[in-house]
Amino acid sequence: MTMRNRNRGCGSIPRRTFLSDCGMGFTGLALGALLAEDGIVRGSESPTWTPPDGRAHHTPRTKSVIWIFLSGGYSHLETFDPKPALNTYAGKTFDDTPLENPLHSPLHKKRFRSVAAEEINVRDVYPTIYPMQVGWKKHGESGIEITDWWPYLAQQADDLCFVRNMWTTDNDHAAENQIHTGRHRLDETQPSIGSWAHYGLGTLNENLPQFVVLGGPTRTDTRQSIDSYYLGPQYAGVPLELAAETPLPFGSRHTGQSAKQQRNEFAAINRLNELTAVEYPEDQELRARIRAYELAFRMQAAVPEAIDLSQETAATAEMYGLGDEATKLAGRRLLAARRLVERGVRFVQVFPSTYGKWDSHRKLKELHGKMCAGVDRPVAALIADLKQRGLFEDVTVVFCTEFGRTPGLELRGGGKDGRDHHPNGFTVWFAGAGIKRGVVHGETDELGYHALGEGHYVTDMHATVLHLLGLDNRRLEIPGRKRLEIDHGRPIHDILT
Amino acid sequence: MTRRWSRPRPFPLRAVVTIGRPTDWRVVVALLIAATPLLEGEAISVETVTAVTAAGETADYVRDIKPILRDRCYACHGVLKSESSLRLDTAAAAQRGGDSGPALVPKSPEESLLLQRVVATDLAERMPPEGEPLSSAQIALLTAWVAQGAPAPTDERPEEDPRDHWSFRPPVRPELPAVEDSAWGEHPVDRFIARQHALHGQTPRPPAGKAMLLRRVSFDLIGLPPTRDELHAFLADRSPDAYERVVDRLLGSPRYGERWARHWMDVWRYADWFGRRMVPDVWNSAPQIWRWRDWIVTSLNEDKSYARMVQEMLAADEIASDDPEAAVATGFLIRNWYALNPNDWMRSNVEHTAKAFLGLTYNCAHCHDHKYDPITQDDYFRLRAFFEPVGIRQDRVPGEADPGPFQDYEYSVLRKIVRLGAVSIYDKHPEAPTWFYSGGDERNRDTERGSIAPGLPAIFRAEQPEIEPVKLPPVAYYPSIRPEIRETILRERREAVAVRKQELAQARQAGEAALPELRQQLASAATPLNKTLNRAKTPHSTQLEKGETADDVDAEPPHEETQQQVSARLAVEAQELAIQVAEMKAADAEAALASVEARMAADRARYVEFSRSDAESLASAAIQAERAATVQAARTAVVEQEQRLAAAQAKPADDAKRQETIDAANEKLAELRKALEDAQAAPAATAYKPLGPVYADHSTGRRKRLAEWIGSRDNPLTARVAVNHIWMRHFHAPLVSSVFDFGRNGAAPTHPQLIDWLAVELMDSGWSMKHLHRLIVTSHAYRMASSQGDDAHNAEVDPQNQFLWRMNVGRMEAEVVRDSLLHCAGKLDPLMGGQELENKQAMSTCRRSLYYSCQPESDGKSPLGSLFDAPDANDCYRRTRSVVPQQALALANSDLVHALSTSLADTLQEQREQTVAGQEGEASEAGSATQVFIVAAYEQILSRSPTSDELATCVDFMTRQQELSSTPQSEDSLRHAAASLVRVLFNHNDFVGIR
Repeated sequence: MTMRNRNRGCGSIPRRTFLSDCGMGFTGLALGALLAEDGIVRGSESPTWTPPDGRAHHTPRTKSVIWIFLSGGYSHLETFDPKPALNTYAGKTFDDTPLENPLHSPLHKKRFRSVAAEEINVRDVYPTIYPMQVGWKKHGESGIEITDWWPYLAQQADDLCFVRNMWTTDNDHAAENQIHTGRHRLDETQPSIGSWAHYGLGTLNENLPQFVVLGGPTRTDTRQSIDSYYLGPQYAGVPLELAAETPLPFGSRHTGQSAKQQRNEFAAINRLNELTAVEYPEDQELRARIRAYELAFRMQAAVPEAIDLSQETAATAEMYGLGDEATKLAGRRLLAARRLVERGVRFVQVFPSTYGKWDSHRKLKELHGKMCAGVDRPVAALIADLKQRGLFEDVTVVFCTEFGRTPGLELRGGGKDGRDHHPNGFTVWFAGAGIKRGVVHGETDELGYHALGEGHYVTDMHATVLHLLGLDNRRLEIPGRKRLEIDHGRPIHDILT
Repeated sequence: MTRRWSRPRPFPLRAVVTIGRPTDWRVVVALLIAATPLLEGEAISVETVTAVTAAGETADYVRDIKPILRDRCYACHGVLKSESSLRLDTAAAAQRGGDSGPALVPKSPEESLLLQRVVATDLAERMPPEGEPLSSAQIALLTAWVAQGAPAPTDERPEEDPRDHWSFRPPVRPELPAVEDSAWGEHPVDRFIARQHALHGQTPRPPAGKAMLLRRVSFDLIGLPPTRDELHAFLADRSPDAYERVVDRLLGSPRYGERWARHWMDVWRYADWFGRRMVPDVWNSAPQIWRWRDWIVTSLNEDKSYARMVQEMLAADEIASDDPEAAVATGFLIRNWYALNPNDWMRSNVEHTAKAFLGLTYNCAHCHDHKYDPITQDDYFRLRAFFEPVGIRQDRVPGEADPGPFQDYEYSVLRKIVRLGAVSIYDKHPEAPTWFYSGGDERNRDTERGSIAPGLPAIFRAEQPEIEPVKLPPVAYYPSIRPEIRETILRERREAVAVRKQELAQARQAGEAALPELRQQLASAATPLNKTLNRAKTPHSTQLEKGETADDVDAEPPHEETQQQVSARLAVEAQELAIQVAEMKAADAEAALASVEARMAADRARYVEFSRSDAESLASAAIQAERAATVQAARTAVVEQEQRLAAAQAKPADDAKRQETIDAANEKLAELRKALEDAQAAPAATAYKPLGPVYADHSTGRRKRLAEWIGSRDNPLTARVAVNHIWMRHFHAPLVSSVFDFGRNGAAPTHPQLIDWLAVELMDSGWSMKHLHRLIVTSHAYRMASSQGDDAHNAEVDPQNQFLWRMNVGRMEAEVVRDSLLHCAGKLDPLMGGQELENKQAMSTCRRSLYYSCQPESDGKSPLGSLFDAPDANDCYRRTRSVVPQQALALANSDLVHALSTSLADTLQEQREQTVAGQEGEASEAGSATQVFIVAAYEQILSRSPTSDELATCVDFMTRQQELSSTPQSEDSLRHAAASLVRVLFNHNDFVGIR
């Protein structure tokens, strides 16, 4: 597999992202690594540590990742982990069933931590069993149970791989950041999964940002989901606006000048910088900046082209549901995601639905029915589209949410038709390169409360994705930045081909 | 593709031993590897095993073994702990072993306890107990080494005693090293640097040119480039102290405080309010936190002692209790406030106090004893206990309205963005316990241990005096006693009186204008006067007879009154009531003023002039006045209600709601009359109400103690950590690269003597930061050229310039990029201080960048900031420095840069024309006009003249831009080309770069 076309000429800067390495330290990783490869820089902060050199640690099994995040918390019960027991015992409390009361399990506390101190607020738990709000069937040859709200996706069941024993620990929506950074709100923040992928591997296409974000994050406090923290801003997710005239901030020529004038201006900038480079031949940052201007100029055209959906055929547009108000939002974002990975973007994080809309404390049936209808067809189209284009061998799709929803009826505020947040067990699915097809991995208990066994904390998803990309995330550490066992997670080998 | 071993079954070492005693250690290695409990998915390649087993001679103790032991074993079996009396920090100690016997049996891996324990499958047995087990390769190495007979250097030394760690010993001013080169012998800093040059065979670079030096030092000290005039003046100044005078000018500029405030705001984690900004809901920091930022700027400009600044940030309320202006310094702790979880607040206070001031990673001891430093988990909670009593209060600011009390968190209640007042820390809960908890989760409290008392780790505990409560002055615990606040309150009351009096005058005027006619109308309605009308002329409240209620009055039917009469009577009543209400309100305001004055007089006697003999009588006068004001206010409320009742009665008879409104108004009126009666009948109060909140007059003194220790000369860390931060911001690289970790796992200093010398110098100067800046920037080292030069030797021996054979090249911080763009174009607004501005305005307004919102949410950085490595408001002890294409796009395409380019180009052209006009008679060719402009632009933007190549390139460029214009020969095309040239220079590497 050709991961990149490396130019190894002396003094070349083969990657799109650069850092200058002035006197070591975590400020200067990427460029330091590149130049070390070129034999220019020696030594590093720690004798046992070397920065990533952009090469995979082992043979990669995927090139790019489309990470689809459904914000608000979809009910695992009404989507991909249906539970007949909920109907059997509907209206009873956990204590009234012959099953073990899940609240008595030590797992309950372990996987259910409030951000708010207990002296301030203890989040209610709901022991009255609420029945399934939708029917379900087995689908495909694999016979995977999927609820009736996913008629399109269900047709792809044999290509998907469900992980039904996920768990997280934040019982509120900061779990949205947690699934991307691996840390609870009360713990120190870490870079997001997309940033690690970008940091570890660099670029497949220098003219495009490497970690692109579509449709989010829309709230100011959810930026953590795409942030890079101590890795530096060049590894942060770059949100692209699909509808705007300027998809990338400052990415379009100013109205005050013609294309030729702008080209002349960029040329003059680099001519002058090259004159300076004669005087300072050792200045790596200057060389990086010259390269950055070349890339910037090209990026102005490459980004709009990459997300220009008008280039797609009518059939494709139809498949993704672009003509339908209900599916248009998700359809456009997922189609753009496909175009981006096609062009070599390493990590595309897609928020297909409006912020928080899955959060069904009330009227779950109505809300989930509507939300599923908005995403089902486009995401099924993405799978089919990747397959028909042969991209299913190069791209891994992840479909996830921040937590599941309670098997019990949420009673807060007189509730009678919804479910609360549920970090103790939820379902995500994977598909595409490196992933087994038509498989269900792991399970929750009969009531859908606890992920059974060890289950998988959210960083197992990170480890899985990084592993497929050819990275061992234990080798992505940075001196002075302590990562914990839980940050690394472990690849879910059982779902890998 | 390497063949992967399938996951092995657990295969305990004991089994190996009973199979027989293999004499060939390679067999043991293979078996041990098989026995290693592999994690799900871990795979060992055949190559790994073969490589290790075949390379017995390569298992080198120093290279292969010691790093494993240091990383995984020393924390418990080293100098810090020696658990089970076992130490593994030397091979000899390992052989000696501990309570369970020798850890190693040379040449006999299978008998070595160390190996048995690292391969154990039983988690209770396995070592290390935490984290992943050792990898198969590591185990193979250990096994091979033991099989070889565990050879180790004979002179191996055990781990250093933590007390001897360089940064834990008090700094002592070292002797200045002798230096041969006289140019490097004058300045103390240079002598330390020159010594390293000599040791590493380096030849330092010559001084940078004057223009470059001026630019460098300007950015360094004030964060802005020199103006053209400053550049010309410096170049023309041949006096020997020209540079020193520039340094003094820059250090004296108010811009200095702004520049260095931003640096320290990184370290001290300045953050404007955030939490859920889109709601908006304040969960973190406080909306008035900008006062702390302004305090930092002012303190730096005043050259306040560093130690004093640190102490005030931690405990201004205790150590500067008589200076209410200093209290905002505690913004350092308020910034950590997290509404939902006080434990989280405490965690941040502990972690960042330790990192920012002490260079200690206390946070590592949150869940377990520190692995590298002598900080136990108990020590973690001891440090927390210093902060445990704190709360936030919201004090009134002179000249501003009262913000009311600080809004504590209540579940699901939004916290408002309060802009009034100033917030500060005080000991709100002096008795609050500090509970030990395990696993970093406050739900796992160990309350049986009782509350943990504040304290320091044993290593620093030598001279730890008792914590003593601090007695606070009245200005601290009763802020309203401050003269400025009293003045504010009085002015507010006096203004209220003036307003009410004016309203009364207006009401009377309106009455005089309207009443004669209204009365005339009423008279002409020709009806016998009745009781009701009589009453309308005088205040109802005084007219009521005993036992009579308003209902009785109203119930009395207005016999014979015609509709016309009713309207006329009501009109007169309304007018008269309006006057009456105005009179009442004026009386109210006066009574309130009198009450405030009387209470202030009593306050003075009570809190200020303690010996006054009339204190008691003043207090009783205050009680009287307060009571009078209360009664008057109750009276006013009654009259106002009567007015409402009258308004209700004046509604048209056919209004469906009329009766309902009248009934409600009557009911309310009855209540208010009762309240008035109660007020009049109330027994005299025993005390008057204070003019504002009164807090406890003692503070625990805990933070004072902590602050004193941190800011004391005996503290081995504080000055060193500060010096390192300052040095890093001058040389773009620190002396200790782990800037927040000076512990045993931190980096060693590149210049250990220099950092100590500077630390002592800082303390000896009274912790004067300006002294340190001046010292550093006047050194030869600082003034060196940053270019590599022709001598390749330096770069070969020290490519990263650790030993400073040249100056490092800097890059403008995000804020400096924006400020410099504005400054070059003459647009930077010099206004200082005040409430933070929103980042969405950052590309269209011109204040200095440190005044825009800085917080971790997505609107917490300006568009330029997010591209040019603006600080992460949660953690930025050291900034990242990146080069990305989006930076180029922002500088080339943004409206801001285009507008500034046009503006600067116009200014430079005007200046050129004026100059040319001044040099009448001298012919100027067209070419040279362009050249003059280009030179001016270079000087303005890059602080230097162009080289001839650059000049030629720029002339060509401008010509070409004009040709590309739609109107090539026009004035307009020239103007555009000039703006374009300016923009090109803004995009030059050496604009954002600092050589």
